[in-house]
Amino acid sequence: MTPIVETRDLTRRYGPNLALDHLNLTVPEGAIFGFIGPNGAGKTTTMRILTTLLPPTSGEARVAGVSVTREPRTVRRLVGFMPDFFGVYDNMKSWEYLDFFGRSYGIPAQRRQQLIGELLELVDLAHKRDEPVMSLSRGMKQRLSLARSMMHDPRLLILDEPASGLDPRARIELRELLKELRAMGKTIMISSHILTELAEMCTHIGIIERGKLLAAGEVQEILRTMRPHRIVEIRVVAGAARAEELLRTHPDVLELRREGARAGSDDEKAPLDDETGPHTLLADFAGDEHALGDLLALLIAEGVRISHFAEQSGDLEDIFLHVTKGIV
Amino acid sequence: MLELNPILVKDLRSRMRGARAYFLLTIYLLILAGVTLLLYAAISGDIGSDLNAGRRIGQALFFTIATVALIEVCLITPVLTSGSIAGEKERQTYDLLVASLLTPWQIVWGKLVSALAFALLLITAIVPVMSLAFLFGGVGLTEVLIAIVGLIVTAVLYATIGLFWSALLNSSLGATSFAIGTVIALLLGIPFLIVIASLILGSSAPSDLLDSAWFIYLSRFVAALHPFIALGATASQLSGGGNPFFEVVRTSATNVVVPSPWVLYTALSLLFSAALLAASVRLAQPVQPGADRQKRSRKVVEAES
Ligand SMILES: Nc1ncnc2c1ncn2[C@@H]1O[C@H](COP(=O)(O)OP(=O)(O)OP(=O)(O)O)[C@@H](O)[C@H]1O
Ligand SMILES: [Mg+2]
Repeated sequence: MTPIVETRDLTRRYGPNLALDHLNLTVPEGAIFGFIGPNGAGKTTTMRILTTLLPPTSGEARVAGVSVTREPRTVRRLVGFMPDFFGVYDNMKSWEYLDFFGRSYGIPAQRRQQLIGELLELVDLAHKRDEPVMSLSRGMKQRLSLARSMMHDPRLLILDEPASGLDPRARIELRELLKELRAMGKTIMISSHILTELAEMCTHIGIIERGKLLAAGEVQEILRTMRPHRIVEIRVVAGAARAEELLRTHPDVLELRREGARAGSDDEKAPLDDETGPHTLLADFAGDEHALGDLLALLIAEGVRISHFAEQSGDLEDIFLHVTKGIV
Repeated sequence: MLELNPILVKDLRSRMRGARAYFLLTIYLLILAGVTLLLYAAISGDIGSDLNAGRRIGQALFFTIATVALIEVCLITPVLTSGSIAGEKERQTYDLLVASLLTPWQIVWGKLVSALAFALLLITAIVPVMSLAFLFGGVGLTEVLIAIVGLIVTAVLYATIGLFWSALLNSSLGATSFAIGTVIALLLGIPFLIVIASLILGSSAPSDLLDSAWFIYLSRFVAALHPFIALGATASQLSGGGNPFFEVVRTSATNVVVPSPWVLYTALSLLFSAALLAASVRLAQPVQPGADRQKRSRKVVEAES
């Protein structure tokens, strides 16, 4: 099967500045492809080439096998684009905004009306149908923009930093929305400079820096290679002082913290007392899964009683979600 | 069913929805009415009440209204279009238009027509004021029709000037400045050139040069680049009882037949408008067909240097 996106030695210069350097990228159909890299890495440049907005300096880019430079109109039919900014018109209501772009894609009037309703429903903006676009919140504009990019039912959605500026709940909603779109059979290409943000919603990831692709593939694989150490949460019922001593001297433990204690504060110095326990220790662990098993065996062999031993999965966003109720 | 140009629909909708359109229209008519009244007050006492008074008032009114309307059209239409494409770039909606199935031609054409629709509204609005001059007599239907054609043609040309700058530049402020700058350069520069040229030629040129057919054509051509000169010359030609479409210039050597200044002005303006429109369409194209070819030649240049 032809991949939905394929670039071969794609290069783009801005004067002497090399924005893309022989980029070879493949996105399989049906994937949610996360495109990650620091500022100025070339993500937007790649996306603009794929949406026919920017001609490449050399090399080739194809969408569903169609060349971006040779048949731009065919490519535009295949691609829905949501840029990293939101273009608004004053004096325009949400439905008019969608209606205008529907016209621009030559969708017949009757189908357009129906589509506007469906898409507003999909992005949860049906109640904002008659509101001026300018009055929508950032997250709502983002969703409206997403609806806009889907007006012509494209096979590939290219979303440039759709999650930037969204609060964690809106991000979760976006993630759910993307899953829904994927279930509808769309391929989604999405960019960000935060790895964790993409890790949770993508099936594939490509890492780009200074116009070069550093790694690409399925998320789990990339994560394993990209995250050399993990945080292990250990809850000690008895023998906390001994556990701390063992962990501090363990070669794979880069850093050890007591949960709740501020780093470097005085009480960190005194040995842990089981009377005040159970204590929770957070260890920054650099070893692999086997080393982690060995660590647990060692602790137990040394008489430390453990009630919880797990890699931390939650991050700040989970905590935020517990606290907020997300009423928009 | 054939759908209207999406850009046209959107722009007309938002242009007419805002209060700005009515504001602009009101100001425009107020200026026109104010000048007319002032003029009437100034000349009605002067002329007295002889037999031709009405005719002369009518003529004066007509020319004043036409001139003021022409000035306004020259200044307003480029502003209407200069914000159009640059405004989309500023609002960051331009990429969305280009990435859609709209063709550059549709974008440019939609922008032009929506601005012209408004300019036509302004021109239509002066018809009642002009008919006032008609009541006094002294002005024929030919004059009125030529004036209206002149206004429309001017609106088209100056709108495409604004459109061109709008397609070229990224900020609407820049595009508007350049558009107004171009208009002022044209309106002041051409008379300036004519004055300078006639000063030099008047003192030193041999008379057979001045009488030669090509010199007459050239001077008519330059004069026909200027709406006020072209239309003014036509008016005086008509009031002298001349043919509205052509003129016979008698020189010592031959008789040269030249089209009326307004005919020449109309033809030249439409020609320039078409050229500017084509240039704007070209500028509005992001990935140009045949970009491969351009790239290759650029690469050759790079390799050589
Ligand atoms: N219009 C432009 N003119 C000149 N240089 C540009 C232009 N656009 C991008 N660049 C350069 O190209 C490189 C890649 O930029 P690009 O916008 O693709 O990065 P990005 O990965 O999208 O970054 P960000 O995370 O900040 O959005 C940068 O070095 C940038 O300076
Ligand atoms: Mg970017």
